[in-house]
Amino acid sequence: MVQYLLEDSRVVDFVSHLQACKTVYAPHRKGTSSFAFAPVDDPTAVVLDYNRTLHSVKKYFLPPTETLLSFDLRTNEFTESEIVPCDAVFLGVHSYDLRAVHKLDHNFRQENPEKNYLRRREEAAFVGVSFEPDAFHFSGSVGIGSRDSSGFDVFLTRIAAGYILTAHTPVGQELVDGFVMPEYTGDLPVPPGFKQHIYVPQDKLSEVFEHSYRNDVWLETAEKCVGCGTCNLVCPTCYCFNVEDTVEITIDGGSRARTWDGCMLRSFTEVAGGEVFREESAARQRHRVYRKFKYISDRTGEPWCVGCGRCNQACTAGISIVSIVNRLVNDYDREVVETA
Amino acid sequence: MAKPRVGIFDFTGCEGCELNQLNFEDQLLDILGHVDIVEWREAMDGQVDELDIAFVEGSLSTPECITRIHEIRRKSKVLVALGACAVQGGVNAMKNTRPIEEVREEVYGDQKYLFPTLPALPLSAVVKVDFAVRGCPMTQIEFLKVFTSLVMGKAPIEPDSAVCVECKLKENECVVDKGMICLGPITRMGCGARCPTFGQYCNGCRGLVSAPNIEGMQEILVEKGLAMDEAWKRLQLYNANQLEGVQR
Repeated sequence: MVQYLLEDSRVVDFVSHLQACKTVYAPHRKGTSSFAFAPVDDPTAVVLDYNRTLHSVKKYFLPPTETLLSFDLRTNEFTESEIVPCDAVFLGVHSYDLRAVHKLDHNFRQENPEKNYLRRREEAAFVGVSFEPDAFHFSGSVGIGSRDSSGFDVFLTRIAAGYILTAHTPVGQELVDGFVMPEYTGDLPVPPGFKQHIYVPQDKLSEVFEHSYRNDVWLETAEKCVGCGTCNLVCPTCYCFNVEDTVEITIDGGSRARTWDGCMLRSFTEVAGGEVFREESAARQRHRVYRKFKYISDRTGEPWCVGCGRCNQACTAGISIVSIVNRLVNDYDREVVETA
Repeated sequence: MAKPRVGIFDFTGCEGCELNQLNFEDQLLDILGHVDIVEWREAMDGQVDELDIAFVEGSLSTPECITRIHEIRRKSKVLVALGACAVQGGVNAMKNTRPIEEVREEVYGDQKYLFPTLPALPLSAVVKVDFAVRGCPMTQIEFLKVFTSLVMGKAPIEPDSAVCVECKLKENECVVDKGMICLGPITRMGCGARCPTFGQYCNGCRGLVSAPNIEGMQEILVEKGLAMDEAWKRLQLYNANQLEGVQR
């Protein structure tokens, strides 16, 4: 595969080149110290050196709130919303966020295919960029390196002079065609290391989780957790939602919307009749972590956490999924392995 | 089918929630098309004996309030608490943190014997409250939702998750990270995270979620470098009644 050098001074031109082909979404500054994906208007506002965005690109395929249908109470008829595919380039996506999209693809293709998500998702092209792990990233521990280009159409690897650009698919080649760059023949410097780690692979984690249901860590974490649901809502692989009908004040029609929801929220576990099936915060925390490392993982063989670090960084109580998992591993080694 | 007969009542409060109902400029004609408002001191004369829906604003803070809320409850099929004072006691309940005689003397001086007073209570402390529209002033979009449901004869869905949820749905940058005392993590959503969306912190006007971890919230605020006293005062602003018995 040919490697090109995209110099820092030409990044803005490259963004403009992509814009000439398709709509481009990329990370922008948001607030005082955050980043968020947004449609590119001004190519100079795009930020490729960022730690993580508030939400992943999931928000474009599974929007925080979407109207599923509108209904007319006079005629008893409904109209489904038209779903427009995201025929766009997602520029500056980190490896863990694309992996998360692939995991959602898996979830949404199972059993009843989720047509709105799949329709929005099908035309999307991805231009990845490598990242420098900060204090919260741990994707290396779940098999996703900071320069992992798998699944991308085009990938940019950060080096001192700019980026090494590689096209990995025909779609990617088409995006790059017509943009002239010198070939890159130099070496690839060693990637920066991760600062956080889960110390065992998924096949052992599955065994660890088998023995962790009654671990004290769930109750201890529940003392700190205020149950705000932030960890679910920033997670790129969480996909649970609630569906609610709203009737207009005219009482002649309304709409049905679905909105992101999360298993850490008490109301999420409330079912018809008012029964709350996971009343304790500890049980909800356990469920969240088991969903990332056990329940889906036992069926797919992969962790369902991509190590982006969002849940930890966004948690006002500072709860770390890495600390929880490592604690379970340590307790397992001490209690199960040593007594065996 | 006859239109539901509606009454609007007020107790201890600023009447801002009631006033907010008159501010529904775009929806007021629709609202009036669905119901007959038959009793409303702030906007009309007269009293009635029977009501389908009573919207009640304000907290209960005198013996006379207790008598009157019982009367309203007796004549109403459905009672809806309107706004922070009615739902959780609101800012009035800050007085409950001090001895009642001291508060009475401070306000009324040597005339205090003319003004009997009680700790400021939410309506639900005295009568059964069927539904709530929260906020200070009451959240207008929530009022419309509750109103529409009741007119249709359905139970409204009351949100019971944190304001954080609505901040996240809007992809807001967290104001706690900017050093603010934000009560969003334990405050009930439904306002669309209006204050944090405009760069302000949440001060808990919509009351707390149903099983709040208040100790955990205090720990977060102190961990963020805020004085415990300051954090506690902020929690008391709208939720003094909800803090009773909480370890400080």
